[in-house]
Amino acid sequence: MVDTIYHSLSLTHSNLQFLYITLYFGGTIRKNMELYIFLEKMRVKRFFKKLLKEEHPPFEKAATEDDLLKKKQIDSSLADTMELFKKIYYVPNNSDVNIRYIEIGGIKKNAAVITISSISNTKLIEELVIRPLLINEDESKEIELLLSPQVRKADVIEDILVEINNGNTTLFVDGEPYAYIISSGNFQGRSVEKAENEVVVKGPKESFNEQAMTNISLIRKRIRDEKLIVESTTISKRAKNELYLVYIKDIANEELITNIKNKLNSLDIDSIQNLSVLEEYLEDHIYSLFPTILYTERPDRASEFIEDGFIVLLMDNSPDSLILPATFWSFFHNSEDHYLRFLFGNFIRILRLMALFITLFISAIYIAITNYHVEMIPADLLLAISSTREIVPFPSLVEILMLEIAFELIREGGLRVPKPIGPTIGIVGALILGQAAVQANLVSPLVVIIVALGGLSSFAIGDTNLNYTVRLLRFPFLISAGVFGLFGLTALFTICLLYVTSIKSFGVPYLAPMTPNDSTAKDTIFRRLVKNELFRPGYLKPKDIEKKAGE
Amino acid sequence: MKTRLGLFHFLFLIFILPMLSGCWDQVSIDKRAYVVALGLDKGEDNKISITYLIANPEFSKQEGPSSEPAHEVITFPANDIISAKNTANAVIAKEITYNMLNVLIVSEDLAKDPEFIRYMYDVTKDREIKRNIPMIVTKEKVKTFLLKNKPKLETRIHKYFEFVLENSNKAGLTPNFKLHSYFSITESDAGLFLAPYATTEQIPGGKYTVGEDELLAGELKIEGEESNNSQFLGSAVFKEGKMIGTMNGEETRLTIVLNETLEMGEIYATYPDPFSPQYRFSARIMKREKNDVKINLNGYTPTIDVTVPLYMDILSIHSMETFDNGKIEQLKFHIEEEVQKKLSKLIKRTQEEFKGEAFGWSLIARKKFWTSHDFEKFDWMKTYPNMKVNVSVNVYIGTFGEQSKLPDLNQVRD
Repeated sequence: MVDTIYHSLSLTHSNLQFLYITLYFGGTIRKNMELYIFLEKMRVKRFFKKLLKEEHPPFEKAATEDDLLKKKQIDSSLADTMELFKKIYYVPNNSDVNIRYIEIGGIKKNAAVITISSISNTKLIEELVIRPLLINEDESKEIELLLSPQVRKADVIEDILVEINNGNTTLFVDGEPYAYIISSGNFQGRSVEKAENEVVVKGPKESFNEQAMTNISLIRKRIRDEKLIVESTTISKRAKNELYLVYIKDIANEELITNIKNKLNSLDIDSIQNLSVLEEYLEDHIYSLFPTILYTERPDRASEFIEDGFIVLLMDNSPDSLILPATFWSFFHNSEDHYLRFLFGNFIRILRLMALFITLFISAIYIAITNYHVEMIPADLLLAISSTREIVPFPSLVEILMLEIAFELIREGGLRVPKPIGPTIGIVGALILGQAAVQANLVSPLVVIIVALGGLSSFAIGDTNLNYTVRLLRFPFLISAGVFGLFGLTALFTICLLYVTSIKSFGVPYLAPMTPNDSTAKDTIFRRLVKNELFRPGYLKPKDIEKKAGE
Repeated sequence: MKTRLGLFHFLFLIFILPMLSGCWDQVSIDKRAYVVALGLDKGEDNKISITYLIANPEFSKQEGPSSEPAHEVITFPANDIISAKNTANAVIAKEITYNMLNVLIVSEDLAKDPEFIRYMYDVTKDREIKRNIPMIVTKEKVKTFLLKNKPKLETRIHKYFEFVLENSNKAGLTPNFKLHSYFSITESDAGLFLAPYATTEQIPGGKYTVGEDELLAGELKIEGEESNNSQFLGSAVFKEGKMIGTMNGEETRLTIVLNETLEMGEIYATYPDPFSPQYRFSARIMKREKNDVKINLNGYTPTIDVTVPLYMDILSIHSMETFDNGKIEQLKFHIEEEVQKKLSKLIKRTQEEFKGEAFGWSLIARKKFWTSHDFEKFDWMKTYPNMKVNVSVNVYIGTFGEQSKLPDLNQVRD
């Protein structure tokens, strides 16, 4: 670790060019530079040595000892085993770890049950594990037969710990060098609720919740296919977060799956709490404004993508799924497009496209036209704008930037406001921005209309990621329009288009299937009739391209 | 490291980009003075006298008109219309712009000057002036015209010019030629350009005519409570970029009927009643089909045969006659004859007086030549006065108004 940080620090010496210049006037350039770098290296080295010594007691060493212990098998002596587990779990300091000693009836053997009560079903343990053991009178019966649920055996300490941590019950019997494990995990969480961010009027309302098993169940409910694979891998070293890859074996492209798996296996992190965090680890273009992984909370949407050959990632603690690869269109589309009737679905697609362009361009076009291309405005509007702008003290670019920023502030404030006082924000915001600002001659009325229209249109873009993309892109467009007029606007738009066509998400071009043109799936701006959607998207290279809708 | 350095370079380039081009062209919308009408008068020596009519944006405010006037008129001598922009700033606070220029007004005096075309070509040099604006010729000086022209209802002056020209064009009383046609017609050197003719000077007592449109601007008697006294009626005729005469309302209408490049709306006109000559009936005239123009250039005297199809609804009939089939036929012949006579008279006038045609026939004739050089050699303008032009009119009588039957007057009076 020291090495990597040290390495990265030495890389930044290009930043020292400033120093280089100052030293230039000092005379001996090279020698001074080298000396400086040498001193800097030494300083950093010393700093890290000190840091490791002081802040971190030799915890890595302890961990290795611990690891060695965990690799061992358990003892047949119950007392020893219990002593060991008490030590591992810091009982009695650890209050919800329960150890219960019982004597098994009939066989007359001492036994102990370890559970973590907060994550296991205590009633089930009581009725199906402890009670049958206590009331048994048969001397010859084996323990597995005494218990009604299915029982597994484990003897390595590490494995047993995993089971306990997952809420399962472990039964240790005196004289037996293994533990019986009964599934009893019961993590607390939400039930399946309505989707809150991707709202539809027509169509299913269910959304994912924080339990991966529930989410998988929601997907399996929609795809009753034995080829639907739910593969699980552990992606973090310490928290042992499980990730589930969901795909259909005979559709999804093998290369894509291995590509994703390789990426997952190369992760070297202590903990990844949820998919939102994982998204950043997986993305190719972290600094890009354009998202390359689709994030959805709707199981119907996820299943739709799985059936098309995409790969869905699920995780505990994430009320959503990641879909990869993602194209621009997957962000632009909405599940309701297909639920609504053909014409209505396409109508909302047009609306969304309009909203996209209005959000991106309306304020920029206003700036460009009023500053450079006045002849484009009808005479009446021109005079109206001119008369209202006359008393505004700022240039129109400043005026519109002010209002845009105010709108973003209100939006962010409104989002974080506690629910009970939420409604007031809307009223205050509208009042302050609209009426008062105009009356105070801070902004002209037309600018309020333009910013409000742009702001409201941005809500029509449902996807959170694309929404942010568009909202952020507005500002460069605004400035380019302010500096170069419509010319700047078109130039920047061209650059954006060039960039968008250049990026890829897991090997898939961002604008596919529009460019490069793909004759298989034509679901881009407009959707086709469902019966005409005969093929899966060809850009994914699925194993089975035909949807067999025609037969 | 390399990519990061590249990024820095790229960002650096982006930041210096504005310095290369920059926003020097930028003028805020509220820092300009918008000239709505630009007037040209004859000035002293070689100079022209320029009149600006500048709109006051203050007047477009929602809170209602303030105490400021709706517009301002200034006149000053200048060399040309482009340098005049700067000269005007001696008086006008804001930067003068022609972006909103709605109309170009020229006095008859200047338009008839052979030097006039020199000043007109300034228009093609300024990029702010749109060429789809109309050019008006005024009888008096433009300065007087703009000062006296005080529309009572359309105080927002740019709207006034837009509406008054739109509707007089629709009625056929003024031609719908734009500034662009002035240049194209002048440069093709084959036809006449017509500009709307306007004035604020009324002939005392007006002029009496039998019909309703045989008038030129200023000849119509308008009375009312201090009504606006500017009239837009008839057209000024330009040949080779110079004004050579005028056409009254009727002639302008007939020109529109003959000229396919001018759009014809619904025209209401009156004709003498063939059955009781003391009355005139009115008709709504429309053109549903195109004129049939046949040009024969082969003979010694080139001939042009024009057939004008007209659709007419007969509206007010003061003789209270109800027409049966036989009478309709008679009526049709009567109108055809009447219109044909008028058209022939007009064509004769263009051949003899103006020595050029304003009917767009040269465009049709062009197709008869292999090269444009051939056409130029033919010299349409010179040949036209000697051509034989035959006009025939084809009238289709449509309806007789909403209620076609009229009561028998004798029975009513009984």
